[in-house]
Amino acid sequence: MQSEPAAWLQVRDFSKHFGGARALSEVDIDIHRGEVHGLVGANGAGKSTLIRSLAGVITPDTGTVTIDGVETRIARPSDAEGAGLAFIHQELNLVPHFSSIENILLGAPKQKRFGIIDWKASRRVAYEAAERIGVQFPLDRRVDELSVAERWLVMISKALARDAAMIAMDEPTASLSDVESNQLFGVIRDLAASGVGILYVSHRLDEVLDLSDRITVFRDGRVTETAVRGQLDKRGLIRAIVGREMAAATRPPHVEVDRTDPIFEAKSVTRGKAVKDVSFQLYKGEILGLGGLVGAGRTELARLAFGADKLEAGGFELHGEPVPSGSIPAAVARGIGLVPEERRSQGLMLEKSVSYNMNIAVLQSLRTVPMLPFLSSGKAKARAQRLVNQLSIKTSNVNERIGGLSGGNQQKALIARWLAPGVKVLFLDEPSRGVDIGARQEIHAAIRQLADDGIGAIVISSDVEELAVLCDRVVVLCEGTVTGEIVGDEITEQRIIELSYAHIDSQGEEK
Amino acid sequence: MTPTLAPRTTVLAAAASNGNRRRKILMIVSRYGTLIGLLGMIVAFTIKAPTVFLTVPNFLNILNQSSLTAIIAAGLTMTLVVGEFDLSIGYVASFAGLLVVGFIARDGLPVLIGIPLVLLIGATIGTVNGFLVTKVRINAVIATLGVGTALVGLGFAYSSFPIASGVPAEFVAIALGKPILGIPNPIFIMLVVLSILWVILNKTDLGQKMQAVGGNIEAARLSGIRVDRVKMFAFATAGVCAAITGTLLSSLLGSGTLAAADGYLLDAFAAVFLGSATLRDGEFHILGTLIGVLIIAVGFNGLSIFGAPTFFQPIFKGAILVLAVGLSTLARRYSKA
Repeated sequence: MQSEPAAWLQVRDFSKHFGGARALSEVDIDIHRGEVHGLVGANGAGKSTLIRSLAGVITPDTGTVTIDGVETRIARPSDAEGAGLAFIHQELNLVPHFSSIENILLGAPKQKRFGIIDWKASRRVAYEAAERIGVQFPLDRRVDELSVAERWLVMISKALARDAAMIAMDEPTASLSDVESNQLFGVIRDLAASGVGILYVSHRLDEVLDLSDRITVFRDGRVTETAVRGQLDKRGLIRAIVGREMAAATRPPHVEVDRTDPIFEAKSVTRGKAVKDVSFQLYKGEILGLGGLVGAGRTELARLAFGADKLEAGGFELHGEPVPSGSIPAAVARGIGLVPEERRSQGLMLEKSVSYNMNIAVLQSLRTVPMLPFLSSGKAKARAQRLVNQLSIKTSNVNERIGGLSGGNQQKALIARWLAPGVKVLFLDEPSRGVDIGARQEIHAAIRQLADDGIGAIVISSDVEELAVLCDRVVVLCEGTVTGEIVGDEITEQRIIELSYAHIDSQGEEK
Repeated sequence: MTPTLAPRTTVLAAAASNGNRRRKILMIVSRYGTLIGLLGMIVAFTIKAPTVFLTVPNFLNILNQSSLTAIIAAGLTMTLVVGEFDLSIGYVASFAGLLVVGFIARDGLPVLIGIPLVLLIGATIGTVNGFLVTKVRINAVIATLGVGTALVGLGFAYSSFPIASGVPAEFVAIALGKPILGIPNPIFIMLVVLSILWVILNKTDLGQKMQAVGGNIEAARLSGIRVDRVKMFAFATAGVCAAITGTLLSSLLGSGTLAAADGYLLDAFAAVFLGSATLRDGEFHILGTLIGVLIIAVGFNGLSIFGAPTFFQPIFKGAILVLAVGLSTLARRYSKA
């Protein structure tokens, strides 16, 4: 290892905090020209923060970047581009109605004098870049007529046209077929062979193991493992991603759940590629976890159950009665609630009061007289006050602007929104994201409380530890399908992660 | 280490408290600035022309003139509360003014049937606007401008029929009557309409839902609120309010005149935005709208008392509109802590 030449890109001591949360902590990483460098880790482990820092989108609190022996400051995206770093995100930032050529040259066309574009020279640059990776389709076609795989090639050409020496790719195969993936792997290997460094970010561990010359594993903002080809197998990789073999120790004693008569049931629920033939049962007083990676279909499943999207096949039943598809008011009327993933953009009316935000879903019950549309401000205030006390929400006054509360207290207020007599099933999407550890425990206590009160709680979380300590049963999804169900003491972080990556098992070497 | 640290923290604290004070002052200016402006105008006009401006008849005159604007602006407020726009209201008012005279003077419908019919038509037009915006998903600016423009044409078509002479006295009496203490009818009508809308917005579930839709439409939808219906109601209300203003204007003029109420659109917008920067931080509300209307009316009254040339009026109106939207935007920005 010591005999290796100095790496082309050297990151040293990167740290980054967001509020109180540590996203990156003393991260060192080396990327050589001509290598494929795999980057793996659970959601929120720090991979994106590292990439965003290198791309100049965010600035780390501490740390240095040395490129080709020169310490380089990357304060904005143009700095990264100037230094020869290119980034290709899953969303593929292409202009859909521009041609491939225009996209390849976007922002950096060859110019004649007075800013007039030299199309001849531009075409030559674009074609040269595209030929390096063997692009077969004509570059004059509009990008929105191309397949996703072809768009990846356009993005790579774009990076090459700017003389990129390192290209970071985020989940390149997420929406590619097997054949397309294999073609892309060929391109990646050729690029590496020609001296370009590839930073390859993926949840598909088999791919990473197969492609990478070196793998770096992130957990909780730190680099926990760096291995060269052959040093790690899949099991070792998963162990490095999870970190510890604990969880059972921190679990509270189990609640005995009567699993004879489900209150809520999903039957072969299907919508496009996101959710495929998903079935599960929820029993009264139970906390059911939905595990899986981001994009595994958990949020989509919750939105379907809640009527935010329409089903293509299958259905949901509440106490044996079918729930109409695609109507939120119908779901709410039957007693299904949702605490959404994005607290601020999907949950809160930030300019309004705590009491307003808590009461908005149950206004009918706060009328002075049931038949007349007039609200009783006394009832509204009393309900809000009761829930503030019950969930110990820290606010000076229920009439305070909710935007001024801490994230944890905002989240509790959103849970409180659904604590009403008619509510039978409550989906909680990432209930403790972005809140501190104390608030997280209080939120967990609140969820346990509502389950004890007879509400069926369904918790979606990318944080496996949260699922392990909170849930009575966990259903794990991978790429839209259920890959396993685990109950009681079987629920460990290790097992949840294994099932989260289980699509590879079904196609790959394990079975 | 410590000695160097101490002064720095003091400086930082001082800077922070400075920032806080500045923020506080800005907040006061944005919340009460419009009210201060209104009072300032009243004081200035009173000092300059005490015998003309500060008289009961002049104030009744100002209120009376404000009534029509206040009603149409209150309807517009409802659409802005749900986060939409209605650019058709002026045209709806003009159209309603033509229809009501046609129904009563030409077709001989009783006033008590003709007017409700016109208000119903106003509600229908508003609902069409709402349908286009929510179900067909046309941008509100385009949809309402399209509907409004079509109404101009329909107005032409309708008024090409000969309108029989003589609008009945009882119709004219609606706007010109002074039942109590010499206070003109439109002031009462305005107070009733604004009170109803205020109660709807602040005291009913529907009003709370409207505010939720305007505050965060995705959160409202995920709370089980039927967002489209709530929006359609707001548009329908705006249509009814425009029809009331149009009817009152025809009663005041004693005839149905083409394009008579078109100009209310800009007045209403200016008033609503001035109002949103009043008392609240950029939120649209009925009381604010009323204050906005009064600011514009007092300003115009002052202009005419001091004999400003007529070209000055559109300049004043344009300036007020820009100022109003600017203030409203500032108020919203500074409310974000």
